[in-house]
Amino acid sequence: MNEWREKKPQEWRRYVNNEVKVTAHEKQECQGWVFTVDPVSASVVLVNFQDTGRTCVTVVMGHAVEAVEILKEGGPEMEERLSSLFMPTGHHGLTKQELQHRKDSLRVWLEKNRIPVVEEGETLRVAGVLSVDPPYGPQDCSSSNEIILSRVQSLVQNNPVKM
Amino acid sequence: MKTPVPVLRLPRGPDHPDSRGFDPSSPRFQALRSTRGGAAAAAAGLPELREEQQARSLLRQRYLRSLLAMRDAQVRFRMYERVHVEARFGASDIDVLNFQVSDLQTPIGVQKEALLRCPDMISYSLEL
Repeated sequence: MNEWREKKPQEWRRYVNNEVKVTAHEKQECQGWVFTVDPVSASVVLVNFQDTGRTCVTVVMGHAVEAVEILKEGGPEMEERLSSLFMPTGHHGLTKQELQHRKDSLRVWLEKNRIPVVEEGETLRVAGVLSVDPPYGPQDCSSSNEIILSRVQSLVQNNPVKM
Repeated sequence: MKTPVPVLRLPRGPDHPDSRGFDPSSPRFQALRSTRGGAAAAAAGLPELREEQQARSLLRQRYLRSLLAMRDAQVRFRMYERVHVEARFGASDIDVLNFQVSDLQTPIGVQKEALLRCPDMISYSLEL
């Protein structure tokens, strides 16, 4: 077990959004912006934006990582660019009113189904074990209980009010 | 006439070498050992571990999304001993120990379906 895999999630977190040089097995080097470090396998996901507009993703497996060196800190712009990379299309196209409408409609629908909902800022907390983030679609539900998750997701899916 | 007795087969116990569970010497347990302690302690509700769990869930979510984005993409795998193969990515197991791929192009031919062991890889890359 190498040193890199022994790190804690907070330590890996500090590498995210920075440009790094990863030295892997057999002195192979990879360079790129850190999108994430998988906390299970310690694999580093590196992203390189090419001039052609394409994006090159390289993942170095955690067990092969020998050294990671930070070259450059990424600013908020890079942070935004990276986090929008693999995320679902999100709510970029929706206005504040539309989001509010979606949230209210979902809350009313869940209450109609006798499911307790509490609003916490932009997030809807369902029965204290599940949260729904904007834009309040089935893919925006998160919970550690997969049974509740799938029940609520199908409820969200079946909301009769067109969103 | 005697009625035949059904053969009762018990499932493999957790100590079987091919088991997927609890045997401390099983590959799965070994691979997950580093992640077990933290999760158990966080479940106990220690406040300093909340932060760790938050960082862990953020990192993990991003990684899972990157795997989702890889589905059906052409991926180049760099394995040990300077072996390079290319294949269409299908799926990964939760522990990132195996990848399921299709049309694996190896030096001796194309394999329609294959499982790649992640411990055999150094890195993989793809273009989006």
